[in-house]
Amino acid sequence: MLPKGYTFLSPVLALAMLAGFWQVTALFIPAWPGPGQVLGLLWGNILRPEFQAALFGSMRRMLIGYVLVMIIGIGGGLVLGRIPLVDQVLGSFAVALHAIPGAAWVPLSILWFGMTERAVIFTIVLGAAGILIVDTDAGIRDVPPLVSRAARTMGAVGVKYFWFVVVPSAIPKIVSGLRLAWAFGWRALMAGELLTSVSGLGQQLNAVAKTGRLDQLLALMLLIAAIGIAVDGLIFKRLEHLVRVRWGLA
Amino acid sequence: MRIDVQHISKSFQHNGGTLEVLRDVNLIVEGGEFVCLLGPSGCGKSTIVHLIAGLEKPDQGTVLVDGKPVKGPDPSRVVVFQDAALFPWLSVLGNVEFGLRIACLPAAKRRERALEYIRLVHLSKFVHAYPHQLSGGMKQRVAIARALVLQPAILLLDEPFAALDAQTRAVLQNELLEIWELARPTILFVTHNVREATGLADRVYVISARPGRIRDVQPVGVPRPRHAEDPALLAHQHKILGLLGEEVEKVLREELGETVHFPEAQHPTPPERSLGMHI
Repeated sequence: MLPKGYTFLSPVLALAMLAGFWQVTALFIPAWPGPGQVLGLLWGNILRPEFQAALFGSMRRMLIGYVLVMIIGIGGGLVLGRIPLVDQVLGSFAVALHAIPGAAWVPLSILWFGMTERAVIFTIVLGAAGILIVDTDAGIRDVPPLVSRAARTMGAVGVKYFWFVVVPSAIPKIVSGLRLAWAFGWRALMAGELLTSVSGLGQQLNAVAKTGRLDQLLALMLLIAAIGIAVDGLIFKRLEHLVRVRWGLA
Repeated sequence: MRIDVQHISKSFQHNGGTLEVLRDVNLIVEGGEFVCLLGPSGCGKSTIVHLIAGLEKPDQGTVLVDGKPVKGPDPSRVVVFQDAALFPWLSVLGNVEFGLRIACLPAAKRRERALEYIRLVHLSKFVHAYPHQLSGGMKQRVAIARALVLQPAILLLDEPFAALDAQTRAVLQNELLEIWELARPTILFVTHNVREATGLADRVYVISARPGRIRDVQPVGVPRPRHAEDPALLAHQHKILGLLGEEVEKVLREELGETVHFPEAQHPTPPERSLGMHI
């Protein structure tokens, strides 16, 4: 255990150990690049305008896709949770949507939208909206009975009950759905770009693999992992923690 | 407002069987009266509160409030629950404003009235705190303010202080009495604590074990403020405890079954023997 006040060092230590181990293996395995070489390449890439365009392209698609996922996921989940008939008819559809991995949507996306940016965004939406619909729906139907009773004795019914009681009660579930949806969307983005060759990080992966440059490939994967971890850790993990504390769940 | 519960019966489906919770319950709470419902755990006290609140419907019988049958929940009959049941996403102020917001009161008026009732329960310093930052007693104060702010004619309290420590409970009991004397709502207070019931109520209804029936009504004719050691109060407690004792035994017998008994001669060593007597 790290002493109190120094726990923030644990990820730093973990990274240092990983880098150390990697460096040692690089010394003994031929043609296996070490961390210094890969990080250097990554930095060099980031300075290249062509690479920057790919990076920003990916981030733009992810952002557009994610906004659509939020609208469809939360909106769909609210409708499903609110109207039992819709839930009975379309609920299993949402679960099925959630069961199909994002990458499996790519061929259909290409068939409909061609090798375009739209196809990639479509992949993100279909790959990530399902989980958010399912989580929002679950949150809506999971109002604690005591909270529900208290609200009803104070006169809350109908639309007011829904907006002032049901929706806020569902927020912890919605936030964890948002977190998962981001992770699913990020995977779908990579798969989409890889197969459609729309300029982006996924397409870069493909291009680099064709050149046979292992060090470049590792640099790219390192960046993809870093972005995934950073967004999850800096935004979603914190948000989830804040919500769990306030809702009395942590 | 007068509460008139007439011939109420209620059963629930439970593990595939039917559980009879209340059988032919009759009780009356006059307008402005403070009445306690006292009974062993699981006797259906809370169900009576839910029925009067309109959260559930009786299988038989009617609940009349001011002569009119109860059709559903209404902010003129507010419940304070044992677990406070605050909205965790709202601050103290937000919680107390909740009912007023539902009633579409303008924001400025809403705030003013909420702050007044938060002051009444001595939580002015915690207006912007959230429930997870409050102690059990403070949460219960918020729950009381949240109910009182609606100026209900009837206040239903379902074991509101049962989860609190003795000191906090005593303080809140006194404050509840003060508030009651100020606004004089009709109060129905559920408890399993005999001292609490006799200390607070004008009359105490003693409920029998499952199925819940009215076992007895005890008017507590001791003037307020009451002192815990008042012999008249102790006499009431003694009488009620006698009635309750039988009921508690019934509950234990039902919950533990006939196979469980505590024969006296089953001690590994007879109690009159002292350790080491055979050395």
